[in-house]
Amino acid sequence: MATLQNTYELTYIVNSVISDEQVKDLVARVTTYVSEAGGEIIEVDEWGQRRLAYPIQKKRNGYYVNMYFRSSGVMIPRLERSLEIDDNVLRYMTLRMDSKMLRHYEESKTKQAISYAAEAVAPVNDDEDDD
Amino acid sequence: MSNTTFREPAYVDYKDVELIKRSLNEQGKILPRRITNVSAKFQRQLTTAVKRARHMALIPFVSDSLK
Repeated sequence: MATLQNTYELTYIVNSVISDEQVKDLVARVTTYVSEAGGEIIEVDEWGQRRLAYPIQKKRNGYYVNMYFRSSGVMIPRLERSLEIDDNVLRYMTLRMDSKMLRHYEESKTKQAISYAAEAVAPVNDDEDDD
Repeated sequence: MSNTTFREPAYVDYKDVELIKRSLNEQGKILPRRITNVSAKFQRQLTTAVKRARHMALIPFVSDSLK
């Protein structure tokens, strides 16, 4: 069956009380879940730990992950269900990207690429080790 | 105060907290269009973006509330 592919944007907040290892595991699990369900990962952008604007489940901080992928729509409810079940996911939001959002995304990508090119002169360490 | 003019992008990104914050009052309420003078189209997009940002705890539902 030829399924219609859409681009989706998924943002979720992981409980940052758990260890870095567990956070990494969870992010990897979500990512593999998407790719195994026939999704094509475009980008996984981990914003890292941020302060929440208001407490969620008595937590003041959260680990934000923002990802983009292409997939058919049928897997989205299943993905959301698994996020809902996971107690370490405080919030999630999936958006189907329409043409405006895609254009916006492309534009922000090119802007980023330009700033990266500028940084390339003085290369920055992109590893997310903060020890 | 808040007489900031908005460049009105075609898509208001809920992740763009800077932009969204400018359209809220101190309590975190969305400013009416009669104050910000933005287009109806932009205001509609903004409303959606604000609600999304609130859900993801990027901006508060209420701030400065009396305890």
